[in-house]
Amino acid sequence: MPSFEELLEESQRRFQELEAGDKPWIRVGTAVCGEAAGAFQVIDALKAELDKRGIVANVSAVGCIGLCYAETLVDILKPGKPRVFYKNITPEMVPDLVESYLVGDNHRPDLALAYSGEGSLDGIPRLEDLPMWSHQVRIALRNCGHIDPLDIYQYIAKGGYAALNKAVTQMEPAGVIKEMQDSGLRGRGGAAFPTGTKWSFLARSPGPLKYILCNCEEGDPGAYNDKGILESDPHSLIEGAILAGFATEASNGVVFIRHGHEGPIHRTMHAIEQAYELGLLGDNILGSSFSFHMEVSLTGDSYVSGEETALMESVEGKRAMPRARPPFPAAYGVWGIPSNINNIKSLSYVSEIISKGGEWFAGIGTEGSKGTAILCLSGNIALPGMVEVPMGITLRDVIDNVVGGVPDGRKAKFLQTGGPLGGVLPADQLDIELDFGAMAQAGAILGSGGIIVADDRACAVNMTRLLVAFCQYESCGKCFPCRLGMTNLIEILERIARFESRPQDMELMRTVGQNMAAGSLCGHGQLGWNPVQSALRSFPDDFTAHMEEKRCPTGQCMAPVFTPQRTRSRWTSAQPMELRF
Amino acid sequence: MVSSITLAIDGQEIVTQPGKTILQAAIEVGLYIPYLCYYPGMKPFGACRMCVVEVENGRGTPASCTTPVADGMVVSTNTPQLQDLRKGITELIISEHPHGCLTCHRTDINGANLCGPEDICQRHVSVTDRCVACPKNERCELKDTTIFVGTGLTTPLTYKNRNLPVLTKDPFYDLDLNLCIVCGRCVRACEELRGDSAITFTERSGISLVGPAHGTSLLESGCEFCGSCIDVCPVGALVESDYKWEKAVDYVSTTCPHCPVGCQLKLEVNKRGKVIRAIPVLEADANHGQACFKGKFGLDFINSRSRLKTPMIRRDGSLQEASWEEALALVAEQFSKYKGDQFAAIGSYRGTNEENYLLQKFTRVVMGTNNVDHSSNLKPEMVEPLGEALGYQAATNPIWDLENARCILTFGTNTTEEHNVVAVPVKRAVKNGAKLIVIDSREVELTRYATTWIRPRPGSDAVLLGGMLKVIVDEVLEDQDFLGEKCDNLDSLKHSLWQFDLNKVEEMTGVSQDEIRLVARTFAENSPAAIVYALDTVPQSQRVDCVNALVDLALLTGNIGKASGGLYPLRSGTNAQGSWDVGCVPNLLPGYQSVGDALARTTLQEAWGVETPSGRGMGVIEVFQSISAGNIKAMLVAGDSPSFSNGDLRDAIEAARALEFLVVQDTFLTGLAQVADVVLPSVTFAEKEGTFTNLERRVQPLRKVLDIQNSGSRPDWWITCEIAKAMNAQGFDFHCAAQVLDEISNLIQLYAGITYQRLLSKKGVLEPVLMPNFPLPSQLHSSTGGQNEGIQWPCLTSEDVGSSVLYTEGFPIGKARFIPLEMKEVPSMTTADFPLLFLPGRVLHQSQVEMEVVVAGQKNYIQRDELLKLHPSDAADMGIQEEDWVEVISSSERIRAKAKLTDDAFRGTVSATFLFGDLMTRLESSEDPDPMSHVPGLPVTPVRLAKLEA
Repeated sequence: MPSFEELLEESQRRFQELEAGDKPWIRVGTAVCGEAAGAFQVIDALKAELDKRGIVANVSAVGCIGLCYAETLVDILKPGKPRVFYKNITPEMVPDLVESYLVGDNHRPDLALAYSGEGSLDGIPRLEDLPMWSHQVRIALRNCGHIDPLDIYQYIAKGGYAALNKAVTQMEPAGVIKEMQDSGLRGRGGAAFPTGTKWSFLARSPGPLKYILCNCEEGDPGAYNDKGILESDPHSLIEGAILAGFATEASNGVVFIRHGHEGPIHRTMHAIEQAYELGLLGDNILGSSFSFHMEVSLTGDSYVSGEETALMESVEGKRAMPRARPPFPAAYGVWGIPSNINNIKSLSYVSEIISKGGEWFAGIGTEGSKGTAILCLSGNIALPGMVEVPMGITLRDVIDNVVGGVPDGRKAKFLQTGGPLGGVLPADQLDIELDFGAMAQAGAILGSGGIIVADDRACAVNMTRLLVAFCQYESCGKCFPCRLGMTNLIEILERIARFESRPQDMELMRTVGQNMAAGSLCGHGQLGWNPVQSALRSFPDDFTAHMEEKRCPTGQCMAPVFTPQRTRSRWTSAQPMELRF
Repeated sequence: MVSSITLAIDGQEIVTQPGKTILQAAIEVGLYIPYLCYYPGMKPFGACRMCVVEVENGRGTPASCTTPVADGMVVSTNTPQLQDLRKGITELIISEHPHGCLTCHRTDINGANLCGPEDICQRHVSVTDRCVACPKNERCELKDTTIFVGTGLTTPLTYKNRNLPVLTKDPFYDLDLNLCIVCGRCVRACEELRGDSAITFTERSGISLVGPAHGTSLLESGCEFCGSCIDVCPVGALVESDYKWEKAVDYVSTTCPHCPVGCQLKLEVNKRGKVIRAIPVLEADANHGQACFKGKFGLDFINSRSRLKTPMIRRDGSLQEASWEEALALVAEQFSKYKGDQFAAIGSYRGTNEENYLLQKFTRVVMGTNNVDHSSNLKPEMVEPLGEALGYQAATNPIWDLENARCILTFGTNTTEEHNVVAVPVKRAVKNGAKLIVIDSREVELTRYATTWIRPRPGSDAVLLGGMLKVIVDEVLEDQDFLGEKCDNLDSLKHSLWQFDLNKVEEMTGVSQDEIRLVARTFAENSPAAIVYALDTVPQSQRVDCVNALVDLALLTGNIGKASGGLYPLRSGTNAQGSWDVGCVPNLLPGYQSVGDALARTTLQEAWGVETPSGRGMGVIEVFQSISAGNIKAMLVAGDSPSFSNGDLRDAIEAARALEFLVVQDTFLTGLAQVADVVLPSVTFAEKEGTFTNLERRVQPLRKVLDIQNSGSRPDWWITCEIAKAMNAQGFDFHCAAQVLDEISNLIQLYAGITYQRLLSKKGVLEPVLMPNFPLPSQLHSSTGGQNEGIQWPCLTSEDVGSSVLYTEGFPIGKARFIPLEMKEVPSMTTADFPLLFLPGRVLHQSQVEMEVVVAGQKNYIQRDELLKLHPSDAADMGIQEEDWVEVISSSERIRAKAKLTDDAFRGTVSATFLFGDLMTRLESSEDPDPMSHVPGLPVTPVRLAKLEA
């Protein structure tokens, strides 16, 4: 096995060749956003065109740089020139682009989005000056869109695995945990539990077999940052997981990816293989006495299997239903072995924290929430994408500046944050800071970082109905309040949306919802009332209009109600029972 | 480790043990917290959320069934918030559960309905939505809980009926998913309690339900029809299909008559005096709330219309009704002519200790012969070596000790079918990581759980065991401390093991040396290790050798006198153990004293007043053989036995025709009764008192569930006494079974401390302890705490609680004796007519063979092509090719199957594995009044093959 120094040297040599060699380096964004926009067809067209013209160039399929609205994003680094980003490239545009910039020297300001690097180009802005970029502090996303996720050398050349080398050669496990505790990093999966503290629980559990579980069972509509990281930079997760294993003296790591997401699954598996080949995983990592093994496991197609105990059930081959706690995973996890579950985003921060120190990380963000927030923005905004902004920035800043605001002169009506269970945040509260505490106070959750923006054409009743329909469909069916409560909630909401509500429905929803919140076994049911509650609080008028005036102010509910649900409708429903005395 | 924890629940201070949950702690002291998904004995699940509580300084409202107790905890169970929450959850539940009568003023606060099922509902509630029309009404936990929680006469949520068809086509079970509340108890009972996983959750979210794990029928999902899921269902979703709508008026717990496990069953009796249901008793030490298809669904013979009601006498060649006086006079007159060794008596395998004691007393005292036996005593070799080597001829450990064993060796036993409840702790042990070694030539169900399944050449079992012993001795894996202190004769065993050269053992058994070494090591290295054996596959000439080897194996590894170790001989008769104890065998007097023992006979003479014969009598096997020789002329047979008709005793009924005088006491006019000269009607187990001794030496009471009504049938002990009295014998003046037991305990040291009163006082007729604020009858049964049921002998004094594990303090014979082994040739088990050996198997689930469930009439049946595995060379000799249809012909049966050639099969053997579900449909549709006592076993039989034309 090569020593780390040898690895670093080799990596830098290879990277230098790409970056400062005599061939152009063309990078195409091929994360799920790029793929959907036709990135692979663009690559095929590029290669064909280059062949045809006899141009020798390096073409890399990179991940997502976060500018999802600009996909397919093609960036070209010609020797001696800055890196130019071309937006919304289709295969048909490829010959033209190659002709102009690779054969000729016209950098095509009409197609270009920005440039980056030394030097300057006429007519296009610097990437770093774009509002979507200038507000960002990229830590977890540092390599996304810049390197080939299938090439471990590029990751190492960008400073990867240095933290691991530092930890296994210079640090004690307790030191790593202390560094994490100093950093103040809180889990990014939704519950915001301090990561260092969580690790210290597992560190205290008896070995030798202990599991580090990496949760990419990302099911929230509008959230794709976990998958984005695995697609764009899987090694940052792997390094983080190895470091977590080192800190907690764990023996195995498992990355759980939702069944069906080929990009993240394939790239993570490939990255793990590469890490094994170079001795960064396996027995005696980098010549030390520390051994750690990793694998990828697929979980069932169910939202609830993102809940940590349900995930463990799913891994054991059982139906994904949450377990009752205690016992907690640190004592009794997968197969009864002590386990620690971390979100992908949390682990992706780790290597930078270890490299640069906990204090550096703690210097970013707010008092209660350190570091950055990785947000996935979608909905009625000008520039949807994935960004990493420091904690403490206001939501208004994010919406208006970072992602370009609501287009067509409309106004934002509400934000749907933190997944369906997070509910809606009205636009008049946009001045709150991105901070776990402040968000919770405003009745929303930061959750996993998905934000869907709705403008004033959206109906709050319709949105609530869709959110509850999702929650109902995804309930595992174990605990009674969630299984039956969600089913009854969606029935009532459908009645309201069909303008057939009954006078007592509002009260009924409250009772059902509060019982769900108080009685449910896991977060899914406990928070299941949240979307309705937040909508009722912020948009009571919408509900009144539906229930009393029998009309929908926005017109969204005028169409026949269709909910992609699995309620009791499979069973032919009988007439409601009338009580007669 | 803290040994006790003090917490306060609703202001009441409670001391409990760590590891308990709040709910368990509360129930123990009689504090009721409503619950629906919790069930005693299962792991906490936390689904129904009815048992929510508030814990001081704790977050939210945790479920008390999943929250462990902690010292100083302050818990409130009944605050207004909690009441509202529970009420809200019940409202949610009944929004999907039919509840017409629950929200009606004609149901009173105790849950009693003023309407009956036939009454017309004034509120036009459809019949499927009415509680009074539900099979579980009056014992529905949901109904009771809803009333307790206080749901009003209106439900705010819209009610939806699922309108699913009721599944009634599977044997014994009815599944009405419209009533299911998805508490998951059935799923967990199947998985956790039984280790089967035949039912599981289906779908998810609002339409999640339960159902068979594979396909749509329990027949194909690997169900063993134990009824465990029915017992735990809180609502009417899963019910027994027989007597589904009947309501019980009386509950009596008694002992199951079907096998020697001796499950305690609570029998429910309706107002017409029929036994309608059997529910295994949760607190019973013998079965821990489990039962099997036989006990759960096989008791309807009690209610049969074809039961005999009066004595019958053969007149003019046919049996005609007669009075008891007539019949007894005739029997007495005839028997007086046949005193001495021309008479023989065969006791019932279901006979109580008292009955079989009286029968042997009658035979020895009145008839003056030792020709007395019980009908299931076909393999006396199973226990005789135990007496020789250890002291007692019985299992050494209790059944549920198996659950904690680290290794279990099962040897030639079809446990799941024949001693079903013994398989439950075995499966649970395997789930907990224990090693299971199955040595059986047949594919029995436990092979599916086996760590190692050894399939020796039929007849070579003893050689295989010898090989295992040799490995243990060679590799010095024996328990040296144990051997040194407690055993004798080790050298002669070691000396005898030299014959068992592993090369030769491999050649004879067909089991590779590596495998023999592996199982020997596994057994020796995982302690405690237990041995469960029934010798089903072992030919008679080898049985003693096998048991000797098994005893040596247990001793050598130090597994005797140790919890969760030991030897479990699984005999076939319900009261086989008791029959031996009371001397209903030809060679032993009561209390395991040899018939030739002069001292014992003197003692007996003092007690009985008559000298007993000293020569060894004839047992059940010899008796039927010597009828034709003319040695036996008159017989008294108490009760039918499967062995009379299943071929174990060849042509027993035919032989009995040659008798000059035959008296049969039986409940039905069985094959043997039809050839009798006098038939005396006897009652079933449910109408008499007495005791059974189960396979773990536990003496358990039979309680009188029903009175004998409108029938002349009488208990067997009464009949024996009356015959004896009619023959002017002394010492038969008993007016109840308890008196007989008193005589037994005076006579037999092992039973000295056991009286019927003592057995009953342990816990009388199952009357749950009423708790102060425990208003719900339906959940009462599950919470009365672990009371003991039955006493395990030796029980020497009235204070003695019995001995659960034998030989903990040493051996009654001083030191245990190793028995040297002898390597014998493998006997041929085939004949010229039937040159092949058929190894039948039966499993719950076999995914590799395609099958289909078809509906014929109103029932589901399994339809599939059976596969017959045979060796290619054998097949070539007979001109059979792969996939050819062949017929397997034995002396009594013909089976059609498709040939499958495989090198795994031994030459000269053919094997086929059937499905348990198939057996179940046949049993359910059987015309036999007592089908469960005639469940076909898996005998290894000689057969020949005939190729069928396509």
